[in-house]
Amino acid sequence: MAETPHLVRGVDHVAYPTLDPAATVAFYRDALGFPVVHSICAAGWGPTDHPDFIHFFFDIGNGDRLAFFYYFGYEPPERGAKGDVYARFEDDVPDFFVMSRHLAIHVDSEDDLQEYRRRLDNSRWPVELQVLHETIESIYTHDPNGYMVEITRALRPVTPQEDLDANLTITALLDVLRDDAPSLEALLARKAELILERAAGWTAPAPEVATGARAR
Amino acid sequence: MSALYVLDVPENRPVAEVAARDKTVSLAQVGPYFEIEFDRVIVIDRRATGCRHAVWYSSVAGTRDARITQWDKDSMRVEST
Repeated sequence: MAETPHLVRGVDHVAYPTLDPAATVAFYRDALGFPVVHSICAAGWGPTDHPDFIHFFFDIGNGDRLAFFYYFGYEPPERGAKGDVYARFEDDVPDFFVMSRHLAIHVDSEDDLQEYRRRLDNSRWPVELQVLHETIESIYTHDPNGYMVEITRALRPVTPQEDLDANLTITALLDVLRDDAPSLEALLARKAELILERAAGWTAPAPEVATGARAR
Repeated sequence: MSALYVLDVPENRPVAEVAARDKTVSLAQVGPYFEIEFDRVIVIDRRATGCRHAVWYSSVAGTRDARITQWDKDSMRVEST
C-alpha cells in the first residue's frame, strides 16, 4: 500500500446549496473578503423537475474553492428545528451530532486568525467560539445557511510521530469495530499492543521525507 | 505491571513528567511513546500538568493491562486490570 501514488492536490471545490444567495455573498465575499471567482448560470435541463440555477464559487485560498447552488423558485419542505439548509434534524438528535459537520479553512498565523475574527465580529455573523485545540487554534461561526465554518491556524507543525500514532489509532479502531460493543477503552488496549509491536523500532523519517511524502 | 502510553509530543510531555513524580511509577520510552509503568493504580493531576482540556482529553495513546476509571478535568485515574 505504501507504493500507491498519492496524486491528489487538495480541494478543487466543495459545494453546498443555499436558499439565501444574498446573505451568502454578504458573508463570504463582503464580510470575509473571499473573492467570487467563477459562476455558472444554467437553465434547468435533464430531469423535468430540475429548476434553473446559479452555481457560484468563492476563492478560499490555495486555489481551492467553496461553491454554492441556488435553485430559482425552490423551497424545501419544512423539516426539524435543528441543522442547516441542507440537513434538518428533529430535537431528539443531539447537538454534538448536528454540529459535527463543518468546513475548516486554514490561515498561516495568529495575526491572520485575528484578522478574520475582526471581520466576522464586525459582521452579522460574529465569532461564536474561539478554541485552543490540541495543536490548532480555531474560530467558529455559522454562515447564513447554518453551515458551521471554522478558520484555524496550526500552533506547530505536525510531527512524523503523530502520523505513526494516527495510523496505529486507525488500525486499532478497525480492529475493535469487529467487536459487538466498540469503545475507546477497547481501542486504547488494542493500541497499546500495536505500540509494542510497531513503535519500538520506529525512527523518524529524514526531514525531506517528513515534509514531502509523509509516512503512511 | 500495567502501563499507560503517551505520545511524545511537546503538549503531552508534562503528563509523563507528572506521572513519573510518583515513586512507584517507572518511565521508559517505546519508540516515540512514553511508557508509564505502574503497579495497581496511578493518578495524574491535570492542573499539575498544566494541560489545557483539549490536550488532556487526548493525551492517552494506549493502556496495557489497565483501565481508565476516572478521566475528568481534575485528574486521570488508571487501574490495573
